[in-house]
Amino acid sequence: MKPLGFSTSPNLVLRLPMWRSRLMLFLLFFAFLMLLLRALWIQGPGNAFYEAKAIKGTQRELELSASRGKILDRNGQVIATSLEAKAIIAYNDVVPDDLAPEKIRQLAQLLQISEPELRRKLRDERTQLFLKRQVEPQVAQAIKQLEIPGIAINNVYRRYYPEGEAMAHVVGFTNVEDRGQEGMELSHQNELAGHSGKRKVVVDRLGRVVEEMAILQLPQNGKDLQLSIDSKIQYLAYNAVKNAVEQHHAKAGGAVVIDVQTGEILALANWPSYNPNDRSHLSGEQLRNRVLTDTFEPGSTIKPFTVSAALEKGIVQPSTSMAIGAKFLVGPKPITDTHPYGVLTVSQIIQKSSNIGTAKIALQMPPKDMWDLFTAVGFGQAPKIGFPGAVSGTVHPYQKWVPTDQARIAFGYGISTSLFQIARAYSVFARDGELIPLTIERSPGMKSGPRVMSAKTAIEMRDMLELVTEPGGTATKARAEGYRVGGKTGTSHKFSGKGYSANQYRAYFAGIAPLSAPRIVVAVMIDEPTRGSHYGGDVAAPVFSTIVGETLRTLHVVPDTTVKQMALKEFDPVDQVTPNITAQKVVMKR
Amino acid sequence: MNRATFTLLALLLICALSLVAAQQKARKLFIAIERAQMEERRLNQEALRLEYDQRTLSKSARIQDSARNQLRMLPITPDRTLYLKDAQ
Repeated sequence: MKPLGFSTSPNLVLRLPMWRSRLMLFLLFFAFLMLLLRALWIQGPGNAFYEAKAIKGTQRELELSASRGKILDRNGQVIATSLEAKAIIAYNDVVPDDLAPEKIRQLAQLLQISEPELRRKLRDERTQLFLKRQVEPQVAQAIKQLEIPGIAINNVYRRYYPEGEAMAHVVGFTNVEDRGQEGMELSHQNELAGHSGKRKVVVDRLGRVVEEMAILQLPQNGKDLQLSIDSKIQYLAYNAVKNAVEQHHAKAGGAVVIDVQTGEILALANWPSYNPNDRSHLSGEQLRNRVLTDTFEPGSTIKPFTVSAALEKGIVQPSTSMAIGAKFLVGPKPITDTHPYGVLTVSQIIQKSSNIGTAKIALQMPPKDMWDLFTAVGFGQAPKIGFPGAVSGTVHPYQKWVPTDQARIAFGYGISTSLFQIARAYSVFARDGELIPLTIERSPGMKSGPRVMSAKTAIEMRDMLELVTEPGGTATKARAEGYRVGGKTGTSHKFSGKGYSANQYRAYFAGIAPLSAPRIVVAVMIDEPTRGSHYGGDVAAPVFSTIVGETLRTLHVVPDTTVKQMALKEFDPVDQVTPNITAQKVVMKR
Repeated sequence: MNRATFTLLALLLICALSLVAAQQKARKLFIAIERAQMEERRLNQEALRLEYDQRTLSKSARIQDSARNQLRMLPITPDRTLYLKDAQ
């Protein structure tokens, strides 16, 4: 057999069918067409999904934080400020279950919580929770160094109050969410609060911001708030009240100082107080702002208003004499005085604080006259000073008064007011009969208000109030060296259960200084003094004296009465004077 | 291809390269501004903290305590004060 050559092999001459190659060609073409269509789809109508995916990987919305406004005193000193603090967050799905006991112990110690509590928190079913919201940066750093997986640190703001206890009731405090809870922090929440903003950024694969696309919302820092309170006067008022409460073993106390020229509240102090920086053991007693939220029967501090109403109507004059006697019977229970008096002038009735005398004056006028003046000076209406919880007290409608009521209301029983209302009412005497609006926000400049009594009556009453602090008056302890002062004591039985308690008292003093050109009104209240005397003249008047003396010196008010100058050896004022300054009142004594 | 085409091609290349360079510069500047803003924030916080520290150290309670107990100072009273007034 003749071997076949390669080119002549019959097998190799077999030709593939044409349809196969065509099919192949078609499939390839079709695949490319599909790819092209897919590419067109991705680029065109179907790109939203991919675009969103790309944006998710590279674009983020970040928060722009805003801080809460500061609270400042009248001199611009900070009394509340927000500082950055750290929040410790646990991601419980990341925190390992077999965390070393040593690390748990250290973490609990740093967070100042117990180990069992920390373990309970770490086992909590929530995947993300705050272990502690506001910790110091140093503590946060120490926690970071523990390198526990799933424990993260975030930036938050924490509120600080440098004045502590002395200013607590005025400023109040905020909660962990930075919302005001008490005091000015609560009443000015809207202005003080900051509003955080938002921005859209591009991040790289490591999460670093590389480009800002847009600011979606601008952050707005809270506005600063300037109060009329003077930190220095506030502290000295607080200290004076605190010392008096401790000295007399009293339950509580309060004081308020008002600048009668501008209507600004210079101090508003309460005891017991609390530290707003550490509120872990806070009680309701400590939180009470007694000056504004407690009402009580004002006792004798109201007598000047009863007498003013009578002076205003011309029923009596300061020199009018009246027979007093030991008892005065109006209704079932006789009215008495601490000492029996024979005949007293109207001025002496105020000076000696005679209940009988005041009741007799009151019963000479229609109830409406008294009621009109009481409501005109602000009793029975909540003072509008932008402070939360300021109470109105009670003055019953005069139509319901029977003579017994009128006689008792005349010397401060059957009517209730807050200490703040008392101070406000006394500002009428200081301002020659005008009732100026009061404010707790900085508001310089002389203010004027509606006239509620004639200047003549107000000046006459100031003279009578001065007698109270002079020998023969009930409050010689209210005198402040260097300044002429005038005021009125008050001592009232506390109402408890079914009637007036025989041995529980409140002692008050409200007054004006310096009398030659009134600048401040100070009202003091000491609740339940138990050691020593319980009279306003012995308990509250010395507090008034301390506050007035130190406040007027702080305000650089020149004394209006002769003062005994200290002995300065070989001091000759004539040699010491500079061309435009001369020494005044240089009465040197050894 | 004529000369104009080459010139346009060269211009296009230059533009493209300068765009890349500008973008790079913009990012660098952006990072710098971010850093500066962070520094500003840090310094603001520092200032607030210092202001707070100053206030805590100068509060009335502390001053009074230091004056009375450490420096043995006495409160001002009018009997030991000489008041001066402007000559008329």
